[in-house]
Amino acid sequence: MATSVDTLGRVAVNGVQDRSNETTLIKAAQSGDAEAFEQLVRSYDQSVLRMAMNLLRSPEDARDVYQEAFLRVFRKLPQFRFDCSFSTWLYRIVANLCLDQLRKRKVRKEEASSLETASGEMDRFQFLPEQRADVDPQRQLFSSEVSSRVNSVLETLTPRERLVFEMRHYQGMRLRAIGESLGVTEEAAKNCLFRATQKMRAALGDFL
Amino acid sequence: MTCPQVQTNLSLYLYGELEFAQEEAIERHLESCAFCQLALTREKEWHASLNAERQDVSLELLADCRGDLRTALRSERGQGWLSGPWSRLLSQRFSPTRRSLRLATASFLVLAGFAGARLMDSGLLPMISASGTVNRMGLLDTAHAQVRDIQPNGQDGVRIVVDQMQQHEVTGKLDDTLVRQLLLSAMQDSADPGVRVDSVEILQHQTSPDVRDALLNSARNDLNAAVRIKALQGLAQFPSDLAIRAALEYILKHDSSAAVRSEAIDILLPLQAPGSVVSPDVLTTLQDILRSQQQDTYVRSRSQQVVAAAEATRIY
Repeated sequence: MATSVDTLGRVAVNGVQDRSNETTLIKAAQSGDAEAFEQLVRSYDQSVLRMAMNLLRSPEDARDVYQEAFLRVFRKLPQFRFDCSFSTWLYRIVANLCLDQLRKRKVRKEEASSLETASGEMDRFQFLPEQRADVDPQRQLFSSEVSSRVNSVLETLTPRERLVFEMRHYQGMRLRAIGESLGVTEEAAKNCLFRATQKMRAALGDFL
Repeated sequence: MTCPQVQTNLSLYLYGELEFAQEEAIERHLESCAFCQLALTREKEWHASLNAERQDVSLELLADCRGDLRTALRSERGQGWLSGPWSRLLSQRFSPTRRSLRLATASFLVLAGFAGARLMDSGLLPMISASGTVNRMGLLDTAHAQVRDIQPNGQDGVRIVVDQMQQHEVTGKLDDTLVRQLLLSAMQDSADPGVRVDSVEILQHQTSPDVRDALLNSARNDLNAAVRIKALQGLAQFPSDLAIRAALEYILKHDSSAAVRSEAIDILLPLQAPGSVVSPDVLTTLQDILRSQQQDTYVRSRSQQVVAAAEATRIY
């Protein structure tokens, strides 16, 4: 049985069969099969939400992107002609929505150190990943310093750099797929990633 | 290639996004340049530190998103009788967003509250019990239900769409596709580390490629050390797998938990057949550990033993 990892880093057993299953699902959804559409959503929605959450760092904004992305997919699905893979098409929609949000934020110059939550606005540092029990206090302090630097430097990236970095580093997508999703060449995506990592290295490299 | 050229390309090198010739040139340079080797180590460190920053998605948020989408889709499908420019115009202007639906729901609930209080007083509301359960229908428990859509229904009626969280129980053997998919999904996506540990524990003796890939992913990336240790124990059954050996070496050098590093060295060293020579890549990893600032007594002492034994048997 063949095993493969797709552009999103998801493991697929017997990729050929998965692709053909997906094509069947898309065709069924195009002809109005609500259950097929739901299955299609479920195969991607965790990745979509994770990407939106990671980029926007706000559950409210991530929810809006999630809903708008899949509504657009629903509305445009009848016109989907399999010219590119479904995931590339979906991520093009998600990427554009996230870019819009990030650009709006740049304009609004939102407070970077807070997060919107169900119980109001809270300090981002309360949401740092759990510290492991076997790490000594000095190491914990060091980790939180790293965290704070990572968050600061992410804020300095342009929306497009942030998006490319997110898609490559966290979603595990190849640059070719990122380029296709953003409607740019692989080379342009590579340059964008290069600039993002240069900034990250400049901010973190000497610290670690 | 010069040192600055190598160092500016290290990230793309780690992502595997360089062309073959560039990658070769960097590797040749790294073999002989201690300064760039150090830069590579730093590069790996900041890449690893970014992984800890990943925002995880709670199952509650995912369930909310799915519920919102279902409501919005129902509304979209309801507009099916409209077509052409009117449909497009309406879908652009009046597509119900989550916020607008929430506002509508809230408005309705305020009105329903006033009306309900009046009806309760007059004894005209037999269907709703004091606990809020619609007893006559016998279906809804408001503690696990959420109003998603409200539509007028005739002159006096209303149609309320309610989402109800339902638990399902699935039982079956590990070779059952559904059972297996659920366990793999729980291993990767559950927000609860306890569930992730349990799923890894149940699957850790399976040898199929999907389980092997999932274990590899958990061992390297799970945020919880207990899950990573369980996943490592599962990987011990793939002694000849080069990708797993490479992952073990990486974990040994970079995992932030001493317990995980100790587990990794215990699994990595028995992979060598008794009495055989330790492979050069493992030996290099152990030597790197001895040269590094890593303070784990156990890992250092095991590395020391193996390196010393390898040096004693070296033929000059």
